[in-house]
Amino acid sequence: MLRAAPAPKNAAAQRGSGEIRLVNLTKTFGDLQAVKAINLTVPHGSYCCMIGPSGCGKTTILRMIAGHETPTSGEVFIGDQMVVGLPPVQRGTALMFQSYALFPHLSVRDNVAFNLKMRGDAKAARYARVDEMLALVHMTQFADRMPAQLSGGQQQRVALARALITNPRVLLLDEPLSALDEFLRLRMRGELKRLQNKLGITFVHVTHTQPEAIALADTVVVMNQGSIEQAASPHDVYAYPRSSYVARFMGGQNVLTGKVRGVAGDSVLVDGPGGALFRAPASGQKPSAGSQANLAVRRDMIELRRGKASGDTGENSIQANVETVEYQGIYHKVTLSRISGEEFIVMEPEATFFAHPVAPGDAVVASWDIKGLRLLEPDRAAGDATQPYADDRAS
Amino acid sequence: MTKAHGKRPWTFYVLATLFTLFVIFLYGPMISIFILSFQGPTGGLVFPLRGVSLTWFGALFGQARTGDIGGAFSRSLPLALIVLVLTVLISVTAGFAFRRRFRGSTAIFYAAIISLIVPGLVLSIGILVTFRFLDLRANWYGSALGAHLSWTLPFGLLIMFAILGRLNPAYEEAAYDLGASRWQAVSHVVIPIVFPGMIAVALFGFTLSYDEFPRSWLTVGSKNTLPIEIWTMTTNVTSPALYALGTVTTAISLTAIALAIGSIAYIQRKRAMRL
Repeated sequence: MLRAAPAPKNAAAQRGSGEIRLVNLTKTFGDLQAVKAINLTVPHGSYCCMIGPSGCGKTTILRMIAGHETPTSGEVFIGDQMVVGLPPVQRGTALMFQSYALFPHLSVRDNVAFNLKMRGDAKAARYARVDEMLALVHMTQFADRMPAQLSGGQQQRVALARALITNPRVLLLDEPLSALDEFLRLRMRGELKRLQNKLGITFVHVTHTQPEAIALADTVVVMNQGSIEQAASPHDVYAYPRSSYVARFMGGQNVLTGKVRGVAGDSVLVDGPGGALFRAPASGQKPSAGSQANLAVRRDMIELRRGKASGDTGENSIQANVETVEYQGIYHKVTLSRISGEEFIVMEPEATFFAHPVAPGDAVVASWDIKGLRLLEPDRAAGDATQPYADDRAS
Repeated sequence: MTKAHGKRPWTFYVLATLFTLFVIFLYGPMISIFILSFQGPTGGLVFPLRGVSLTWFGALFGQARTGDIGGAFSRSLPLALIVLVLTVLISVTAGFAFRRRFRGSTAIFYAAIISLIVPGLVLSIGILVTFRFLDLRANWYGSALGAHLSWTLPFGLLIMFAILGRLNPAYEEAAYDLGASRWQAVSHVVIPIVFPGMIAVALFGFTLSYDEFPRSWLTVGSKNTLPIEIWTMTTNVTSPALYALGTVTTAISLTAIALAIGSIAYIQRKRAMRL
């Protein structure tokens, strides 16, 4: 019913690549360094999610790419063009605002036609293109409505159509799903991915929701206080977090801390709290004995045994008490007593859990295979990832 | 049993009585004047009504002894309209200027607000003295216009602050993002969105000027505006023509307000549901 790529009438489409390159990009607001010398390349036609707690600088980066914020220093390239100083429309970018910012005095049709009207296209040509875009986002039957008459999900589709009519090389999305309820959020998430596949342009999507980022992105960029903590595929970020910050923020891992006892062959021995001994793959790292070590263990690769261990629990295991048990459908989320102040969660598959259920107050031994454990890079900056939702609006 | 549920506390009756008294106090005089303006030809300034007639409305426009109502009106209306236009123009542009903090913006803001606090009469004495000093003649389109603006501009500016404060900057950014120039963003996005607020500013400008007495009294010069003419009449006219005049001027003010509110409601309705 519709072609994938809209008619290449717009100059931006002809200009080619939607690769984004940020070079030493820095932004300061007064004394606050919102973005600290970021370097990042987002390949053409890929889906990039920037994730981090409020105030980590992700929205500021997005706005600098869009041209609504001027970098303090550094450069932004789109394709092979340095775009700092160019107005938004000459960058080949289109921004979808968190509030959607649909013009309340214009109908859906005129909202979507806005760019063409500003460009001076004739009415008939404008409306023909609008119909095409509305069909793309399945909003054809709402063309005559006013924005106030639409639901949140419908408004978002209109905002998408309005942004895409400019034929952007890069679509920038500022927390696009945050205003929707859970059900719609999941549906729109699927549609964003479908659209990106269909259009083949670069999407940069800012979010603070982990499942959203790993479900959508080709590249997940985890931000912490104006710096990039890790930029990698969703699988790498989730399964192989580089730092304790990423491990905590992405949420699939428990972070353990201890002191390095030494390196033995291709594994590292770490003395943990309460006499526990951890053995992790060294994977090329050679931490010096006595130094502080952060380890991450996957929450779904931990085994629980009821009861107290007699004497030593053995390598890669800890003695703890169950605090809460939450049923989550496929998994049971078992929260154990804090280990040196850190949350320790075990995701037990349903069958395993029911074979030997545990209840709050039970003493358990949690153990895991060496393959589930990773030695993390030492902490750089003190970032607090334990409260990522503390202040959503501030970003 | 069910009655006990619906029973109102005694405070309801006390407050209801108080409110009724307040409404009577508010509208009673206006209604009295409205009724008395239809006094019969033989009736006087007080109740009872001796027949119903339009005699006094006729007297208003017909006889010289009631004063120069027509002339006063022919000055008050254009004055109010000029004030309306200038208030909208200056308040809206000033409101935009104040969206970005600039050097001395706070000082300018307070300077504008001070004229709300200074008593109108004192202000107009000042204007009059200054005009005399500069050897200018006081008249309705000069000194009185300035005096009225000193009253309407701060109001207009404060209204624009409230309106522009609620305007999400994302609208303008979205306009730029979609290729609008600065001027296009203003004319296609900002102005249409804040238009109801601009009508409110216009309404204030018009009614404040049209009804203004203290700031007009000394500054109009030899030819009166309507409020001053009415005031003068109270001292020498002792017929219900005074009431007829009150009814006519109130009707004009109410029409202006109804037009303004009606057009705001119309715009918002059009936005809510496309007809």
